[in-house]
Amino acid sequence: MSDDDHVDLDRIDMTVQEILTEMKDISEVIVDLAYAALMYNSKEMGAKVNDLEDEMEELKYAMRVKALMAARTREDAKHLSGILQIASAADRISHAAGELVDLLEISPEKRPFITNLINESDEKIRMIRISSKSDMAGNTIGKLGVEANTGMKIIALKNRYGWTYDPDDDVKLRVGDDMIVRGTEDGGHRLSEFASGKLPWEFDETEESSDE
Amino acid sequence: MNRIESMLLELKDTSEFMIDLAYSSLLYNNTEIAEEVEFLEMRMDELSAKIQDAIIDIGKEQPEEIAKFTVILRMQMAIEDIANAAASIADIVLRGLGDHPVIQMSIQESDVTIEKVEVAENSILNNNTLGNLRLGSHCGMYVIAIKRGDHFIFGPAKDEVIKAGDILIAKGPEDAADFFIDIADGTEKEL
Repeated sequence: MSDDDHVDLDRIDMTVQEILTEMKDISEVIVDLAYAALMYNSKEMGAKVNDLEDEMEELKYAMRVKALMAARTREDAKHLSGILQIASAADRISHAAGELVDLLEISPEKRPFITNLINESDEKIRMIRISSKSDMAGNTIGKLGVEANTGMKIIALKNRYGWTYDPDDDVKLRVGDDMIVRGTEDGGHRLSEFASGKLPWEFDETEESSDE
Repeated sequence: MNRIESMLLELKDTSEFMIDLAYSSLLYNNTEIAEEVEFLEMRMDELSAKIQDAIIDIGKEQPEEIAKFTVILRMQMAIEDIANAAASIADIVLRGLGDHPVIQMSIQESDVTIEKVEVAENSILNNNTLGNLRLGSHCGMYVIAIKRGDHFIFGPAKDEVIKAGDILIAKGPEDAADFFIDIADGTEKEL
């Protein structure tokens, strides 16, 4: 699998900065997804972690090739060695996430403490459903700014099309959708009040929609 | 929760905090933050050793329980890998290899942004506690460190009183950053 001859050419065309940004993003979301997979005993989510792990590997190779091509001077080499070290650290994080989801092979009754552990963590993971009474329904994640307003990051979403992991801002939330979210206890409580319709969503009239 | 599970919990929470701190140290090419990551890494090693010792003891006393604790051991190793990776990111800063615009830009462009703000006299943050403000659940930004004068407070507690002049380093989604800056400089008065 880790064959140096099979570096994805699309990724070679990315800039060093783009590759690094992508690697950092994956290094953060992959750990959340791994814990969520264990929490909900989801093989599908575990498979997504493995996909991201493979993607990270590709990015790491692309980064190595780019770095070697870019080094002209001693100074270049020094900076690029730092960048390569970040890439390899991000890659290690993704492998650790992979090791976590390997625990899915063990039956849930032999690892009951994992759910407990995640529930007691600073960063909690919860599943929250969008009720028909919620005015969040019909709006995109980006328009709502779910994370900016509640501190809860949607790491996975189940809607009529199935599961989406790390959904983009343009994904619309609909009645009956299940969100798997990560954040603090307080934030989770607040989001569940919005999602159940107990609290009206605080739409910001002055907020300019971002161009992303 | 038993003792081993509590230690594992601390290990997990610390590993996540270390990643936030490590990327912050890179963004600001800041050796003090990087040193904190290194310090936490040593604590993680100690904690990991304690967990392993405790599991060995259980293996001697209750061999029938060992299967469950093997799972804990595997988890501990994965979490320790994450912490080691965080330490290796901070190590770039400590070696003086972190000062490159591509590094800083790649962090600024990422989904999880890090912002550094100074608290103004007329900000609602001034003389308020993090617990009372609930910044995280109301504007998406979590304060990971406070720089007060010439020292840092890492992972500030809920009852920490924020003062004008404090520099807060917080992480959150990029669409939360501008609002957070406005809150800190006193332009926005309501969370």
